[in-house]
Amino acid sequence: MDATEAAAVLARARQGDSDAFRALVEQHSRSVFRLAFRMTRNEQDAEDVVQESFLRAYRQLGRFESRANFGTWLYRIVSNCSVDLMRSKQARHDQVRGDSIDEGAMELPAADVPGPERMAQSAEIDRRVQDALRDLSPLERAAFTLRHYEGRTIEEISATLGLGTSAAKHSVFRAVKKLRVALAPLRSQES
Amino acid sequence: MTHHFTEDELTLYYYGEGRRRHDVERHLESCADCSATYREIAGTLAMIAAPEVPERGDQYGLEVWQRIRHKLPDRETGFARFSGFSGVSRFFGFSGFWEFSRFGPAVAAALLVIAAFVGGRLWQRSITPVDTVASNTSRGGNPENPEHLANPANPEHPEHPEHPENRANLILLTSVADHLEQSERVLSDIMNAPRGDISAEQRWADDLVDASRLYRQDAIDAGELSVAAILDDLERSLIEIVNSPSKISAADLDQIRRRIDAASLLFKVRVMSDELRQREQAPDRSAPRTSTSTRVTS
Repeated sequence: MDATEAAAVLARARQGDSDAFRALVEQHSRSVFRLAFRMTRNEQDAEDVVQESFLRAYRQLGRFESRANFGTWLYRIVSNCSVDLMRSKQARHDQVRGDSIDEGAMELPAADVPGPERMAQSAEIDRRVQDALRDLSPLERAAFTLRHYEGRTIEEISATLGLGTSAAKHSVFRAVKKLRVALAPLRSQES
Repeated sequence: MTHHFTEDELTLYYYGEGRRRHDVERHLESCADCSATYREIAGTLAMIAAPEVPERGDQYGLEVWQRIRHKLPDRETGFARFSGFSGVSRFFGFSGFWEFSRFGPAVAAALLVIAAFVGGRLWQRSITPVDTVASNTSRGGNPENPEHLANPANPEHPEHPEHPENRANLILLTSVADHLEQSERVLSDIMNAPRGDISAEQRWADDLVDASRLYRQDAIDAGELSVAAILDDLERSLIEIVNSPSKISAADLDQIRRRIDAASLLFKVRVMSDELRQREQAPDRSAPRTSTSTRVTS
């Protein structure tokens, strides 16, 4: 779909043409899923985010400014849907656990630290990374995902998540600090 | 240089951001402490590789659309915003405007099409010999010579696209193609629906059953036997969907799906719909067919 065609489809979708909106869904679904999965790290959650994001986009399409880039706008919606979903999951999780989210990966008992051979296995590293990421707050995780996996600048993260530049920057910093602490055992085994 | 850089500044440096990048670079060459901190930050972040995202096929966009299209909320645009239509519809408890606009008029449309189809045929039969003679004369044909009717370029030739019967057939084909596309969506929904409530699908199927019956009868009259055969299969599946419990069990839903699968119904409906669309594009091919592509023969 070239730029002119894409603009025409978008204009029709904004006027309520469901076939045009369908074209947008078909065009963007895979990239939306990719971002949602990177944010949530869970296939089913990512599917839920995809669905909710398009429904939100449809509701808010009237407010979308045609000068803006639809992909960027949708990207923002997906990021915020992911944060919302992670928040609601975390709230339920905290209610069940009744304790702080910073526990867990940071307080690994010594006996739990795998030996060098096992540590070398990338699957194990991935698991640890995943645990560490899960222990970030939703906003930290979203900001970190956008910075680390998606290569977004602090300015872009700020715009995407609707945060001030300073808040966006500090979300990334906090995430990096927590990850460094959580992954320190792996680092020490490696060195 | 005595100024050390903070961990946050080094993090930004790692990501290629931050001011004074050149200063950081020079400092790292000369400061062992900052260099060690930077190596630790970079080493940790390098461990965090992008997760492998599960593959999604080419049809994924369509699957997403199938999942959300019935959940699309009302949007206040155009007519609804200015006329207060959405408010009125809510007042009367008629929230399924989308659903109605998609399938509700199916039966009405079917009746209109059939009226046009039958009308076209009756009109053809009602042409009197006098009319024919007058018509031929006005076109420069020779009323004494019936051979001109054998000329395929003559609009009165039965194979000419402008022949009233063919025009009526074309209207029918177009409408049946629309009907098959709507039915395909219902069948796709059933094939992809999560177990539980299928009441929305049942309402649409219910609307389509009557139209299907009318189109099938008309297809038989028009000699479109393969179209009629698919409409017959479709009608049975639609009736089964309509008559199933709304809160369907996984086993019952599987059974419906197996029947749809066993009859290759979704596939046949798609192929037939495509074929009818192609025939629309080439009106000279709108003449009745008793068999169609081998892919869709039952």
